[in-house]
Amino acid sequence: MKTIGWFLGIIIFLWTPGLKAKDFKFPEVAGWKQSGEIQTFAPETLYEYINGAADLYLMYDFQKLKVGEYQNSKGASITVEVYRHQTPTHAFGIYSQERLPKVNFINIGAQGYAEEEILNFIAGHYYVKITVYKMESGRREVLISFAKKVAERLEEKGVLPPLLESFPQEGKVINSEKFIAKNFLGYSFLHSAFNADYELSGKKFKLFVIEGRDQRECSEMVQKYLQQTGNPEKNIVEGVYTVSDPYHGEIEFYWKGKFIWGALNLSEVALRSKYLKIFEQGLTMKN
Amino acid sequence: MRKKLIGRRDFMKSSLAGFGGLFFLPQVDMKQELRVVESKGKEKKFVYRTLGKTGIKLPVINMGVMNTDNPNLVRVALDSGMVMLDTAQTYQRGQNEGMIGEVLKGRPRDSFVLATKARLPNDQKTGIYTEEATEEAFLKKVDVSLKNLGLDYIDIYYHHNVWKKESALYEPILNALEKVKKAGKARFVGITTHMNEPEVIQAAIDSKFYDVILTSYNFEQKHDAEIREAMARAAHAGIGIVGMKAIRGGSRRIPTLKNPAAALKWVLQDPNVHTLVPGFTTFEQMSVDLAVAEDPTLTDLEKKDLEKVASASGLYCQGCRQCLGQCPEHLPIPDLMRAYMYTYDYRNLTHAQDLLLSLNLPNRVCEDCTLCQVKCSIGFDVPGKIKDIVRLRDVPTEFFV
Repeated sequence: MKTIGWFLGIIIFLWTPGLKAKDFKFPEVAGWKQSGEIQTFAPETLYEYINGAADLYLMYDFQKLKVGEYQNSKGASITVEVYRHQTPTHAFGIYSQERLPKVNFINIGAQGYAEEEILNFIAGHYYVKITVYKMESGRREVLISFAKKVAERLEEKGVLPPLLESFPQEGKVINSEKFIAKNFLGYSFLHSAFNADYELSGKKFKLFVIEGRDQRECSEMVQKYLQQTGNPEKNIVEGVYTVSDPYHGEIEFYWKGKFIWGALNLSEVALRSKYLKIFEQGLTMKN
Repeated sequence: MRKKLIGRRDFMKSSLAGFGGLFFLPQVDMKQELRVVESKGKEKKFVYRTLGKTGIKLPVINMGVMNTDNPNLVRVALDSGMVMLDTAQTYQRGQNEGMIGEVLKGRPRDSFVLATKARLPNDQKTGIYTEEATEEAFLKKVDVSLKNLGLDYIDIYYHHNVWKKESALYEPILNALEKVKKAGKARFVGITTHMNEPEVIQAAIDSKFYDVILTSYNFEQKHDAEIREAMARAAHAGIGIVGMKAIRGGSRRIPTLKNPAAALKWVLQDPNVHTLVPGFTTFEQMSVDLAVAEDPTLTDLEKKDLEKVASASGLYCQGCRQCLGQCPEHLPIPDLMRAYMYTYDYRNLTHAQDLLLSLNLPNRVCEDCTLCQVKCSIGFDVPGKIKDIVRLRDVPTEFFV
C-alpha cells in the first residue's frame, strides 16, 4: 500500500486548481416535487439496486446509476433511473438487451419507447428508465414530459450505432438488433458483435457482424474460430468460410478488413450468399 | 441424455478445513451421491446433492442464465448434465425467461428444474415494501413468468432480492406465494438475498414458509461465517440452499480471481450448500463449471490461490456497514472507502471523484475531531484514508484524462 500511496499524492501534486467535474442534475418538472435524496450506485453496488440483473449491466461497462424520485399532490410517484455506460455503443447494448421489438417507439434521445407504466430511452452514454406509480390516467403524457426534461439535461442525444445501417433490410425484424458486448456465440475470443433477427418466407435466421480493431485482430479471431470448430488453417486469408460449429450448426461467414460478418440458422445456400453479399455492400459503405 | 444413480454416500471426503485460518468447517456427512450422466456418448460422474425437503436431486453445479441471451449455451448446458436453470422476470425484461422457454420446448418436463423470481416495489434505502407491493401484483408477475416460459408450472418461484426481515415476512407476498403453490403454478417457493443474508435466512427459517433459499456466499465475504451458520440452521430445518455470487459476481467490476473453479469449490466445501448457479457466458466457462460438478474437491493449490485474493481484498472495505452510525458527522464511510478503492485498486480517478462529489460532503472532512470514534471491523485507519481520498474532490476531471 505504501507504494500505491504515492499515486494520489503525485496526482494532487501535479494538479492545477480551477476546474470542476460535471455531474448529472435531475430536472425540475412542473407539478412534481423531488422526494428523498438522489441515490447513486457504482459498479460495486449496482446489485444492491437491481440485484442479479447487475451482472449483465457490468458486462456492458456500466459506470454509474443515479436514481431520483418525484411525487405529485395526488400521491402518484415517478422514479427516474439514469445509467451511464462507458460508451454509447454499450449504452445501446444494454438497452437492446431489454428492448422488446413490439413496443411503442417514441422520438426521444437516440431511440425510446413507452409502455403502460414505463418509458425507456438511450441518449449517448446514457440509458434512462422512467417508471410511474399510482397514476390512473395520463401516464404516457407524464412519462414523455419527464423524458424530455431528462434528455435536455443529458446534453447528448446520440444516434443508434452506425454499423446497424449496414444490415440488409429485407426480412429484418424491426428493432431486433442487439449489441453483444462480450463472448459472442459463447466464445471469449469473438469479443463483441451486433446481430439482428430475420424472418423471410417462414424462415427465421440471424445475421451478425463483428468489428475488430483492425485486419490483424480479425485474422486472429478467424484463426481461433477455425481451430475451435476443428478446421485449423495455417494461412488465413480474407474471404468466405463455412464451418460446422458444434454448438451452433453450420455457419457461413466472411472476413474482410476489420469486419467479420455471417449468418446463423440459414441453411439455404443461395439465400445465405445473397444476404452476405448485400451485407458486404453495406459494410463497404461504412468502411 | 440419460442419468443413472449409482448410489454412493460420502464418496468424497474433501478436506473441510478452511484455508489460512479464514474459516474452519466441521467434518460432516455430506449426504451426496454420484450420478452417471451420459452426454453425447460420453459418461461423466457428477456429484449430486438433495435440495432440502423438496427432495429435488441436483448436480452441485447448475446454470444461472441471467447473463446470456445465447439459447445454444443453455441447450448445451442441459445436454451436458446441468439440470436447474435459474432466471428472473427482471432479467432482460422477461426476455431471459422467454429465451429459456424456447430452449425448453419439447424437453421432458421432468428433465429440468426451472427456478425464477419476481420482486415488487420497495424502498431502496430501507428494503421495506411500499404500498404498491400487493398480493395481486405478485400473482400477476407469476402469470407473466409462466407465459414467458411457456410452462404450466415453475419448480421454484422465489421472492426476489430481500435484505430485511420484515420484507421476508411481508404478508401480501407470502399470501401470493401460498396461492401460487396451491394452484399448482409452482411446486416450491423460495426467497433470495444478496445483502444482510443472515437476517433474511433466519427470517425464512422462522417463517416455516419457504422451501428454498438462494443466497450470495463466497470466500471474500467478511461475514461468511455468519452466513454459513445461518445456512446450517436453514439446512437443518429442511430448507434447500442454493448458492450464488460464488465467484464474487456483481460485487466488483474488475475480477482479480484467476481460478473461478476454486471459488466454486470453496462454497461447495460447505455441505449445507446443495447447489450453485454460476452465470457463465462461454462454453469454456461452462466446461470449467462442469468439471467442478465432477470433482468439487478443493486442492491445496486452489486454497492458496484463494488466500492470495482474499488477502488482497482485505486491503479494501468489505462493505459490512458496521461503521455507519459511529461517526458523529454521519459521514458515509463505506462510500468513502469505495472511493479509496477506486483510486488505489482500480486507478480510476474519474470514478472516485464522481462518487466523492455525489456524496455532498462538508467542506472540512475529518479535520475537527481529535479522536475518531469509528472502529472499523477489519481495523482500517478510517480517518487516515478519508483525509487522503477527499483531496480528490477538487482535482479537475480533465486532469485525469
